[in-house]
Amino acid sequence: MGPVELLHMSVFSQSFSPCGRFLAAGNNYGEIALFSLSAALSPDATGLSQKPVLTFTAHEGPVFSLLSTDCHLLSAGNGEVSAWSWTELIKKNVKPLWTKRPNYKSSLEIPEINSMTINSRDNSLIVGGGDNNLHVLDLEHGVFKAVLQGHSDYVHCVTMREREAEILSGGEDGAVRMWDSRTAQSVHCIDVYKYESCARPQFGKWISCLTTDSDWMLCGGGPSLSLWHLRSLSPTSTFPLSGCQRQAAFYQDMILAVGEGPFVSHCLLGGDVKAQIPCSPQSLNTLQLNTNSTEHRVLTVGGSSAHIDVFTNLSYRAFSLSF
Amino acid sequence: MSSDALKKRKSKVLRSEGGTPEMKRGRGDGDQQVMDTAGRELGQSPLFVANDARVYSEEVELDSRDPEQDYLQYKESCESLATLMSEIQELKANGAKEGCAEVEQRRMQSCIHFMNLKKLNRLAHMRLKRGRDQTHEAKQRVDVLHLQLQNLLYEVMHLQKEISKCLEFKSKHEEIDLVSEEEFNQEAPQEISRPHLTKNDPHQLTLARLDWELEQRKRLAEKYKESQATKEKIQKSIEVKKEHLRSLQPGLNAIMQASLPVQEYLSMPYEQTQKQTEIARHLPPPLYVLFVQANAYGQACDKNLCVSISGDVDEAKALSKPPEDSQDDESDSDAEEEQEKTKRRRPTTGGQLDDKRREMLKRHPLSLCLDLKCKDGSILHLFFYYLMNLNIMTVKTKVSTSTDLNTAISAGELLKADTLLSCLYTSDQGRETPNPANRYQFDKVGIISFADYVEELGHPYMWVQSLGGLHFPSDASEVSLSASHMESTMKLLRGRVQSRLALHKQFASLEHSIIPVSSECQHLFPAKIISRLARWTTITHQEYLELPYIRHVTDAGLAKETDLYFMAVVERGTARLQAAVVLSPRYPEISPLFSLCLSWKGERSGRTDDNLRAMESEVNVFKNELQGPRPGHQLLTNQIARLCVCLDVYLETEGQDDSVEGPREFPREKMCLRTVRGPNRLKPFKYNHPQGFFSHR
Repeated sequence: MGPVELLHMSVFSQSFSPCGRFLAAGNNYGEIALFSLSAALSPDATGLSQKPVLTFTAHEGPVFSLLSTDCHLLSAGNGEVSAWSWTELIKKNVKPLWTKRPNYKSSLEIPEINSMTINSRDNSLIVGGGDNNLHVLDLEHGVFKAVLQGHSDYVHCVTMREREAEILSGGEDGAVRMWDSRTAQSVHCIDVYKYESCARPQFGKWISCLTTDSDWMLCGGGPSLSLWHLRSLSPTSTFPLSGCQRQAAFYQDMILAVGEGPFVSHCLLGGDVKAQIPCSPQSLNTLQLNTNSTEHRVLTVGGSSAHIDVFTNLSYRAFSLSF
Repeated sequence: MSSDALKKRKSKVLRSEGGTPEMKRGRGDGDQQVMDTAGRELGQSPLFVANDARVYSEEVELDSRDPEQDYLQYKESCESLATLMSEIQELKANGAKEGCAEVEQRRMQSCIHFMNLKKLNRLAHMRLKRGRDQTHEAKQRVDVLHLQLQNLLYEVMHLQKEISKCLEFKSKHEEIDLVSEEEFNQEAPQEISRPHLTKNDPHQLTLARLDWELEQRKRLAEKYKESQATKEKIQKSIEVKKEHLRSLQPGLNAIMQASLPVQEYLSMPYEQTQKQTEIARHLPPPLYVLFVQANAYGQACDKNLCVSISGDVDEAKALSKPPEDSQDDESDSDAEEEQEKTKRRRPTTGGQLDDKRREMLKRHPLSLCLDLKCKDGSILHLFFYYLMNLNIMTVKTKVSTSTDLNTAISAGELLKADTLLSCLYTSDQGRETPNPANRYQFDKVGIISFADYVEELGHPYMWVQSLGGLHFPSDASEVSLSASHMESTMKLLRGRVQSRLALHKQFASLEHSIIPVSSECQHLFPAKIISRLARWTTITHQEYLELPYIRHVTDAGLAKETDLYFMAVVERGTARLQAAVVLSPRYPEISPLFSLCLSWKGERSGRTDDNLRAMESEVNVFKNELQGPRPGHQLLTNQIARLCVCLDVYLETEGQDDSVEGPREFPREKMCLRTVRGPNRLKPFKYNHPQGFFSHR
């Protein structure tokens, strides 16, 4: 990887290992890098420990989504999902356990996979991407068992509402759709851009970030990031963030959001922006909190740079991992 | 002020107090004694002693008198005087009248005693005088004797010195190496050795041996003279023979001259090569190595390589004549050091330093010229110089082209001698001297950096040193021969000139806003490109650094001082795309790097806008498909053409705000499968050739 390639690298996805000691990150060249958090966080860390312990090419296209199950790392590339064993990866054995491809109708261009989520109720993987549909992969049998159709443009993000067994998806068409995972039917559809409080016509109507916590939902993208009450299906607060948000997360009584602009935004549920913490990439694509291990409890963010910023404390950037 | 000091002072005072009363007492005693004696003398009646010598001489009398006797007499008369006085007193006390006979008689007697005392006093004085004279006499005699003694002692000392000098005397003959005694006895004739005399007398033996030595030396001197004479004779004969040979030279020259037309006719540049090799003998070693290698390479592999020597041959000859000069510059530098040491004490003037600098940077009078012809007729002239005192080689370059290049302003830098060969090998800028020893030489004469003299002396590139067989411990590569560099370097040189000439041509058309796309590369771009190159200018490194949207490039260390910088402006309608270009001197091996900034509905750059970033990577990262036919001289123009295509796509796929009425500024003409894709909503920048649609990477 030459310096020019490094200069034009973007990090799209991250996932922590089940043990919490490793971080996997995927970039726009289809590579996945494995960083050792325990080495990087140890007191005698050197510049070398901020480099990946393992880098391998997983897919042809960019790796837009990474997901960890109990023992597997799932990665999404250009129209395909691959599974890798964490134990083998840590031993630096790079061989996918399996690679699956949803049944796409069109053949001219392979649709990308933008987002994946696990439905732990029936151990299935929900995959959303470029063909406007959600595909449900049964992880027990390894077959695609259902297709959720409804979006009129490609799907940006998928998330799961565990308690209600609901799947939520946001797309380029500006709609947040809620699906019943049991019947595979669309339950609700919210056109976020139609709500005046969140609409930002100068950007567009796509929904690129979506996350839920019990009865609450965060969504944003072209429209401003907003907090929704799902029972009443109404926006409760809108966050005055300037750019388009790519990923958001609930953290304790706060909301962390990243997107355009070189900072992590800390928002209060009431709708105020509490702080914007600067970081090195000019725009951010991904944000991940390590909850798997107490000693390596960090926040990592990646974006339009070869660096992944690590926050040991939410209020400042500690150091950067780099490809 | 301690109590001790006080005590001391007190004790002093006490002592002095104690001293004075004693002194007083002593003095008082003395006074009393004087008074006593006076009293006694006065109170004594003199005893008269008659002296009836007719011829009176007291001195004669003195001899006959005994001082002891006189002393007794004195005592007697004093006593009788005292009794007389007391008798008078008694008489007077008893009421004797003034002038009565008894008193009168006694007075007479005492007068006689006084007379006697006077006489004794006189005698005592005379005796004292005589005693003094006698002492003086004796003393003079002692002095004379003492002087005599001293003289004698000095004489003794002098004689001793003389004796020791004599003992220490070293004869000259002791230094002469004489033949051993046995040898002498065997070889020396009887009349010299005189065995009967010398057998027992070592002195005579030595004398004899010395005689023998003298004899022998005389003989050898005779022999030396003879040899000298024969030598002279032989030299004379040599001289005569030389003269004869010299007289042959003009004849030979005439023959050579006469044979010239024949040589030309047979196309055998016999003499020319001979002349060149003759001159080459005076080349310094590195240039000679280069000369031989280049000649060999030219003959074996590259007919378009031409080597020639220029410069003042006589001066070079003069340089190589004194052997100690050309032998090693170590002694030179030693002498310099010494000079420097003495100089340091004196205040150095600027003029002296200047002279020293000039001396240090002096180059050998001969230089080597390599002409490298390219296929299109342009020639790269390389002039190699050798700096004698620094022991490095430098090169100057010149390009002469077959066709007159129409002047492109931005191409000015391209064929400049200064930058033409910069970084031929990685990071070989040729600005600093590759010889680490030079650092110390520079310190002495106050040269800060060799870069200041590069203009005048040429560039000391590493590859130049390698070609000349000079190796310095600092370069990491293992020692290799000049020959192993020759081919690769010549190829690189030719490649460099060709790429520069190609760029030169491209720049000329770029400045007229025409992007030359060759037929081989036509398939890379759609037929219709609406965006136009509006401007192509050169900018300085400083100007580049001041641009706000290149921070990431400089942070990654990809914008070096040796690179060339350009600014391209692509326009379509109201949109204006600025592209700052870093062109490495090693182009096309290292591809140009574009950084973009679009002003359209506000300002955005590759750092903030993902799509512009994608356009950057489209030209910077996916450059391999843009290289065109080998060796990829069309890369730059293809990159610019692709930039125009990408700008078209960018503008045509920009989401239209529904609320704004009226027709779109940029109607969609390009065929795209999807306008956005992925989480960062990238536009389709990849052109698929036969079908003619755009897709995502």
